[in-house]
Order: sequence, then C-alpha cells, then structure tokens
Amino acid sequence: MELTHDDVKKILEIIDGATHLDQIEVVYGGFHLCVQRGRETESSVRATPPLATAPQSLAPSQAAGPPRRAEPMLGEGEVAVMAPMLGTFYRAPSPGAPSFVEVGQRVRADDTVCLIEVMKLFNSIKAGVDGVVTQILAENAKLVEYNQVLIVISTVA
Amino acid sequence: MPPFKRLFVANRGEIAVRIVRACERLGIESVVGVSDADRDTLAARLATSAVCIGPAPAVQSYLKAEAVVAAAVGTGCEAIHPGYGFLSERAAFARLCAQAGLVFVGPSPESIEAMGDKITALKLAEQAGVPRVPGSDHIQDLAAARRAADRIGYPVMLKASAGGGGRGMRLVRSAREIGEALESAAAEAKAAFGDGTLYMERFITRARHIEIQIIGDAHGNVLHLGERDCSTQRRHQKLIEEAPSPAIDGDLRRRLCEAALRLARHANYRSAGTVEFVFDEECREAYFLEMNTRIQVEHPVTEMVTGHDLVAQQIRIAGGEPVSFTQQDVRIDGHAIECRINAEDPRRKFMPCPGQLEIWAPPAGDDVRVDSHCFAGCRIPPFYDSLLAKVIVRGASRAATIDRMVEALAAFKVAGVPTTIPFHLDVLRSDDFRGARVHTRWVDEMAAETRVTATVSA
Repeated sequence: MELTHDDVKKILEIIDGATHLDQIEVVYGGFHLCVQRGRETESSVRATPPLATAPQSLAPSQAAGPPRRAEPMLGEGEVAVMAPMLGTFYRAPSPGAPSFVEVGQRVRADDTVCLIEVMKLFNSIKAGVDGVVTQILAENAKLVEYNQVLIVISTVA
Repeated sequence: MPPFKRLFVANRGEIAVRIVRACERLGIESVVGVSDADRDTLAARLATSAVCIGPAPAVQSYLKAEAVVAAAVGTGCEAIHPGYGFLSERAAFARLCAQAGLVFVGPSPESIEAMGDKITALKLAEQAGVPRVPGSDHIQDLAAARRAADRIGYPVMLKASAGGGGRGMRLVRSAREIGEALESAAAEAKAAFGDGTLYMERFITRARHIEIQIIGDAHGNVLHLGERDCSTQRRHQKLIEEAPSPAIDGDLRRRLCEAALRLARHANYRSAGTVEFVFDEECREAYFLEMNTRIQVEHPVTEMVTGHDLVAQQIRIAGGEPVSFTQQDVRIDGHAIECRINAEDPRRKFMPCPGQLEIWAPPAGDDVRVDSHCFAGCRIPPFYDSLLAKVIVRGASRAATIDRMVEALAAFKVAGVPTTIPFHLDVLRSDDFRGARVHTRWVDEMAAETRVTATVSA
C-alpha cells in the first residue's frame, strides 16, 4: 500500500493542528515523511534505507558483500537523484555530445540530468527539484543498480 | 576448467543460495540479482557480488526479464541460472538471454514452450508412447464437454492447458455440474494465464504423485535418476517428498523411467527436467501428467539417494559438457525424505506469516541436510513465497528415515514466525504416512475431518 497525495495532505493537516509539536517524522512502509515547523518549513519524502541487522557470525569471511550502496552524506538542502531502475547510466544524449549536466550547473526540476538504458530503451531521468548540481556519483556507461544515487542537487545553493 | 567464469543467479531464497554454492564448488564467480527487499539476504552475502535489479514486488524485479538480462550483461556474466519459479519456465526469457549472448542454464526455448502448453505436452507424450490419463483434447464448447465426459466417465477433472498450481481446475462429479464448472474454470484460466483453453481428464480418487528425474546434455545423452514420491500435498502444493516411492514396485518403476526417457529423447531434452505421473492406486496404473523444464524444489531428495549434484550438472551441461556419469553410475542408496518448512500457521489454515526470525537453529548431523536462506535476525518479507527451509534426511530404510526426520524436526528451533514444523511432525507420526497410505488429497481430507470433529466437540 502506498500513501496517496490526499493521505499526505491529511497527515499535514493533522500536524498543522497539533500546535504543541515542532517536528514530526512519519515512517510508513517505504516512505519517510519529515516535517519541521518554524524557520524554513522544510518537508521531504525519501526512500527508507535498507535495514542491516545480520549477526556477525553469518557475515561471509571474504570482503565481498551484499550490494551496499555508497550512501553519500547529504548536506543541508541537498537532494539525491536515485536510479528508478537498473540499467546503464549515460551522462550525455549520445557519445561525443555534451553532458546533460556538470557539477556547479543550475537545473530546473523537469530538466533531464542523465539517461538510463535497459535493453536499448532509454529512460530520461529528471532532476526532480530546482537547484545546483553538487556531485555526479555514477560513472558514464556503467551499470547502475535500482535506487543507486546518481547525482546530488543542492536546493539552497 | 570451470564451464564459465561468472554466472548470474536470477532467483532468491534458498535456491539462490543453492546455486551460489554450486558455483563455488565449480570455481565459478556468482552474481546474485536481488530486489530492494533482498539486499541483505544470505545469497547476496555468500555470492561473489550482488546487484539490485528493482523494487520489492517481483513483477518489478525477479520477473522483469529486461532488468535481469541487463544486470547479467552489465556485471560481465556469461550464463544465467533461473532456479525455479519466476522466469525459469518462460521461453521468451530464454530467447532474450540468447539474444544478449548469455547462456541460459536450462533446456532450449522450444522445449520450454512445448512442455509449457499442457495439450502439446500430452501429444508429445502420446507420440513417445507414454500413456496419459484417459481424457480429451481442447474442449471447444459445452456440447463437446458433455460428449467427452460421457466417453471418459464421471467424475472428471477440467484443467487449463496453460495451467499449473491448481488454477483453472474444476472437479465435475455429474453432468449437472458441467456447465457451471466449464465457465468458471475457463474464466479462472483466462485470468491466471491469459488463456482460457481447457481439456478434460478422468478424475482419480486415490492418486499418488510419482515423478522421474531426468537429465540430458547436448551430446545426446539422456539419463534418469529414479523417482520421487510427492503425494503429501495440500491444495496441489507439495509438502513432503521422498525417494524411492513406497507405493510402486520394481516393474512399474522401470516402466516409468523408460517412459520418461522416451519422452525426453523425443523432445530432444537438454538439462535437468522432471516427468510427472499420477499413479492410480485402485487400478495400479500410472499416467503422464506433465513435464517440468526446471530444477525442482525437491531435487535434494534425489541428490541424497544418488550422490549426484544436479545443479552442478545443469551448469556444466549448459557449458557444453556431457553429463559426468552414466546410467550405470546411478544407484539408489537408501531412502530420503524432504519436508518443506514454510512460514505459515498450520492452525490458521496455513496462513503465510512474514516477520523477523528471532531464533533460527536448524538441525544438523549425519545424513541431515538443510537447504535454507534463513539466519537468526533475518526478515521474511511479505512479497514472496513462504518457504523457509527444506530439511532432507537419509536413512537405510524408510522407517529409519522417518524416525530420523522426526528427530531432526523436533530439534529444529525457530522463533519469530509460526512454521509448519508441528504439521510435519503430526504427518510423520501418523499411521497413514508410516503405512504409505497417503494420497494427494489426504491432507485436505484430514483437515476437513479435523474441522468437523472440532465443530462437533465444541
């Protein structure tokens, strides 16, 4: 079950009415809703990171492990653009063409920032937020996993 | 020389662990494709590496052929092992692998297609001289259904041509019931498989499920590894399997093995496969049911009595090697039983119960094998099947094997989710199981009887 836009609206209304609270976090399935009152009212919805709770005794002896994503430390106002599917990551629309984005570049929410190809099918990945690109973490023409962080965008810069 | 450098495991759970271990034995690197819910699974930890192929729901990950193939190519794999379920019996997936330059560990797309359509499979069986349950071809309409039923004799069973797992199946006891049964079975088959084609078979009241394990290679060798008896079922789902079957004699065993080999040769079959038969205990005849073109859940039963590693054989055969043993090398040594331990509550109609395992202490010892992906603290997600472990034991005789299984299951400690262990202990201790009087509807009939008793005493 997923939260609908209406559900989120209702939750926000309830929180709005609870004047004794300054900050609230709602975790529901894969959703994580964080709302802060006052100063700069900031709300964000992000995917919950996977849980790692295995006993040490069962960890394999070799260094190779499960697909741990290198979770970048997101700074204040930074948003991660994550791979919505597994596939090959491309920074440019075609070989030799200029990249969609470079670090330091300002982007709008509906700008394409990269492509992910799955079996000759190219999917445009949008920035999702207005801001400035601060990091490009995926390597051009390499496989990216589902939910891998590709690009980091600062919304406050 | 290993047949491949790196192999992609397109499955999850215990079978993914099983394939990773076979790769280790063969000196092959393994890459497991996991869903977002399975990043921390045992298969992902034991494999050389793992890659997340999509979100938790199987349709967006384990069933997504394009993502699986892209992941295998992208991680530099040469071959894909599909395990069982998911994409294992989809001819289109096997073709997609070939197009991407990957070796599909399994039979040819043509074999998968032929056996996947039940009516085509029945025709192949007939051509190979393998008897089928007295029955019909495609049922076109109600009039044809009535004629077929009159010829076969009631009760009859309606079945879906594209079917499996009991869906699109209806028992018809008399001419009065046939109209409604035809309609609902066709609608169910259409919804489940996208194909409402039905056929009809005589209904066998007391049936045992007997299947023959076969293995073939690209060099024309086809061998059998004896039978498994999977008669302890609940709603067409197998719960306990054993080898050899306590219900058939040497003569019937030989005839079934020969029939399975004829069919496999006729279909030019490569890789591991299973030819399923239904054994009518009343007239002591066995009939062809279907052929499964994958490694089966219960394959360890055969491995325990023959000593041959079927998954390793599959991989080597896919790499172009011949089967590494001959028919004369296949000897059935003792008896083996497998119990499927599921995260289900047997007191609440076997309701699946996802959750987190607090205690996980499986049995161990001589001739005790546990195939599982579980560990203390691991999560059983709600998205997939409820199989936690397969406990397989071997003994010199059937009676000794049952005793050993009772000991093993009694020592199996699990906490966090309910399991089917108490149910298995009840069955193993029953006179009917010990006396080999269990048939494929025994569990369902027992459950119904227990409910009646409970209602009466309440």
